Amino acid sequence: MADLLPPLTAAQVDAKTKVDEKVDYSNLPSPVPYEELHREAFMSLKADNFEGLRFDFTKALNQKFSLSHSVMMGPTEVPSQSAETIKIPTAHYEFGANYFEPKLMLIGRVMTDGRLNARLKADLTDKLIVKANAQITNEPHLSHAMFNFDYMGSDYRAQLQLGNSALIGATYIQSVTNRLSLGGEVFWAGVPRKSGIGYAARYESDKMVATAQVASTGAVVMNYVQKISEKVSLATDFMFNYFSRDVTASVGYDYILRQARVRGKIDSNGVASALVEERLSMGLNFLLSAELDHKKKDYKFGFGLTVG
Amino acid sequence: MESTISLKTKGKGKGSKGASSSDDKSKFDIVKEWSNWSLKKAKVATHYGFIPLIIIIGMNSDPKPNLFQLLSPV
Repeated sequence: MADLLPPLTAAQVDAKTKVDEKVDYSNLPSPVPYEELHREAFMSLKADNFEGLRFDFTKALNQKFSLSHSVMMGPTEVPSQSAETIKIPTAHYEFGANYFEPKLMLIGRVMTDGRLNARLKADLTDKLIVKANAQITNEPHLSHAMFNFDYMGSDYRAQLQLGNSALIGATYIQSVTNRLSLGGEVFWAGVPRKSGIGYAARYESDKMVATAQVASTGAVVMNYVQKISEKVSLATDFMFNYFSRDVTASVGYDYILRQARVRGKIDSNGVASALVEERLSMGLNFLLSAELDHKKKDYKFGFGLTVG
Repeated sequence: MESTISLKTKGKGKGSKGASSSDDKSKFDIVKEWSNWSLKKAKVATHYGFIPLIIIIGMNSDPKPNLFQLLSPV
């Protein structure tokens, strides 16, 4: 998107696109990856709200290698059969190691109860990327792993996904014009036996992004993001499921200020939430999170500090 | 007692027949068993070895950090 360019060249690019409205169909830009279709909308609407204390310390040993220590204390929700949510106070410490290189990225996180969360991303060639993501626990049959193979063509992207317990998926997205991209996905799961197909469309310009996605599981998601200025963007989202007749609409905002970033949203389920990240000094960020669920009477507040 | 002996031999006969039919299926079973065994070993190896692997790769990248930087909390 043109808003990623620095301001001087953005003005020239805007003038050029106004002058030549004709689309060069042989030279279309690469589309956004299928799983990042809704990324602008989810930046304000699906912000990372948390409850309790969060402390993250990242120590860089050199340009490519860093270690991280995280402490999280607070109530965690336990799934329960009854309608009320059950929260159990927990505290955990997580140790992580990251290695970033242009062609290889490795991230590993291990918790005090022995759970490992491992991610790998490697560029095998210019156009083929392999990604792997695994959560391994000590308890049997509760570990997951997922492998993705992405192929990036000149104006399309294709992805194949393989997961444990026999999960296979494939997605494809193609740039149709400079601004419009269309895509589809297909998946097959062994346990429980089901398969699905979905379609998605994304239309973007310098100031707005609109996306829509339909899936055979019954989910329909449509969202719209308008960039009001360099600092402010507003987003709105509409989700419904035509089998279970569940409807949710939400409106959110994202203010990127010099020293702080404030994101908030309000929902048709009676949930209002906000997240503030303030930069106290270089490398030191203070986080405040609040989520009020008036329907379920569940109020969550969290605060945290991120160093490095 | 004679009847029990005869029943046992009948059982043995059935058992040997059963073994020969399972020999034909066992090639696929052997492949499945080997793949299960290797996945289990791969899971244990990843569980214990992924983070040490990242640390080894990181400590050998340049500029090479020293051991004190790895262990100190600052």
